[in-house]
Amino acid sequence: MMNNRYLRVFLKIFSAIISIGAFLLIWHIATNGTKLGELMPGPIELISSLIKSTYTNIGKYTIIGHILFSLSRVLIAFTVGGVIGILLGTAMGWYKTAEAIFRPFYEMIRPIPPIAWISLAILWFGLGEIMKYFVIFLAAFSIITYNAFAGAQAVDPVLIGAAKMLGAKDSRIFRSIVFPSAVPYIFAGLHTAISASWATVVAAEMVRASEGAGWLIIQGMEMNNMIQILIGIIAIGIVGLLLSIIMRGVEAKLCAWSKSGK
Amino acid sequence: MNKDVVIKCDSVSKIFYSSDKGFDVVKNIDLTVFKNEFLVLFGPGQCGKTTLLNIIAGLDMPTSGKVYVNNKEVIGPGPERGVVYQSISLFPWLTTMGNVEFGIKAAGVGKKERRKRAQYYIDLVGLQGFENTYPIKLSGGMKQRVGIARAYCIEPVVMLMDEPFGALDAQTRYLMQKELEIIWGREKRTVVFVTNNIEEALFLADRIVVLNNCPTSIRQEYVIDMPRPREYTGEKFLYLRKEITGNMDKTL
Ligand SMILES: Nc1ncnc2c1ncn2[C@@H]1O[C@H](COP(=O)(O)OP(=O)(O)O)[C@@H](O)[C@H]1O
Ligand SMILES: [Mg+2]
Repeated sequence: MMNNRYLRVFLKIFSAIISIGAFLLIWHIATNGTKLGELMPGPIELISSLIKSTYTNIGKYTIIGHILFSLSRVLIAFTVGGVIGILLGTAMGWYKTAEAIFRPFYEMIRPIPPIAWISLAILWFGLGEIMKYFVIFLAAFSIITYNAFAGAQAVDPVLIGAAKMLGAKDSRIFRSIVFPSAVPYIFAGLHTAISASWATVVAAEMVRASEGAGWLIIQGMEMNNMIQILIGIIAIGIVGLLLSIIMRGVEAKLCAWSKSGK
Repeated sequence: MNKDVVIKCDSVSKIFYSSDKGFDVVKNIDLTVFKNEFLVLFGPGQCGKTTLLNIIAGLDMPTSGKVYVNNKEVIGPGPERGVVYQSISLFPWLTTMGNVEFGIKAAGVGKKERRKRAQYYIDLVGLQGFENTYPIKLSGGMKQRVGIARAYCIEPVVMLMDEPFGALDAQTRYLMQKELEIIWGREKRTVVFVTNNIEEALFLADRIVVLNNCPTSIRQEYVIDMPRPREYTGEKFLYLRKEITGNMDKTL
């Protein structure tokens, strides 16, 4: 049993290495001294530039500096959007009054893609950080609110009844029944929202910034620097993947109760 | 013998209205349950047993009639009535300990006292060692033990049990019946136990109230005075089993 599992993992990693290796090889052959090579750098050149960009500046910062700028924008706005979204969503899902007051406004905002707000945000907040926070906030907020709302509405009425029979009053039912039973829904929202926030920061930085992953790409385009664009894209992809892995880790920790495995 | 009345149902009826049609589910139930009595409500599936129990619990209101517990009218859910449910209704995000202490936590009992009391009931239902386990990792029988401990821990005046063993396999079901009898022997409470299983009813009951099919009303009562613990194959057990089964409402 044990051996079998190790063998399977080994085979999986082995075949991944083979297929990625084959891809890199084909890429290398296709771009090495060919016409295609003028449009697209080869893998060796790209990877070595990527490594080099971690210790030499592109513009004012290294690639790590740029990523950290984008990340801090996302994390600040995502956190604020997440906290407000969770509170508002669960409250709307459980308290009829909260739903009556806030839901109409929320439903008006929800279908608008966050990027559509960028121009308005620039007029309201100027070209600085607030504009970027605002747009990312909207991206995170509208997704998380919706999921928290759906989660609070889906709470099992038998559990509500059980809590009432055990003497729990309204505010305790909200805190200790409605909220925890919405948590898996909230996490589904946080997953989508972190990807959306990450996409939105790139878009906002492409419109106007002097640092960050989005700026890297736009600047690369303006300078006709293919490698810089590709480095930006790769960095964005890696960070997006890491964010989603971290989120899954946090979820596994907080939703241990819903997993039947050991 | 002086019998204190704990639960009194006074011509309780329940009609569910859907659009314009009324659907009689419970009809004119007059029922008295005495202190520390183990009363079994025995009736066919879908006859209105859960509806009646929910009315006694205060989770549902009767269309007409009244329910009193300790001479106080029942007007809503409350911790002097403990409920063990037909479906598994544990809070899945709380451990065994978290579920059992939920009620006394809501009542504001301090942590040290709370843990001590919850532990007593966890031990009573035989779940020591599983205090920190989440419900999803417990077997069906163990989940119902948590459900029983959770209801017991608020030390209610009455325990209302709605087919608590209905979803268990036969073997576990016999085991749980024996355990429940032992628990009840040690921690006497007034119990209303709903079942559609005649063996279970005869094994546990001081008194069996046989219900008619929907709308449910009282068909007949049997006082069961066999000594405990009972043998499923005892002569009187088998006789009563035949007698009560023969007297059930056969209409569908
Ligand atoms: N909330 C409700 N609205 C309408 N009909 C209901 C409701 N609850 C139960 N019923 C109906 O009442 C009948 C009895 O249900 P129930 O009390 O659950 O029966 P039992 O517990 O004996 O199986 C069923 O036919 C069911 O469909
Ligand atoms: Mg039922």
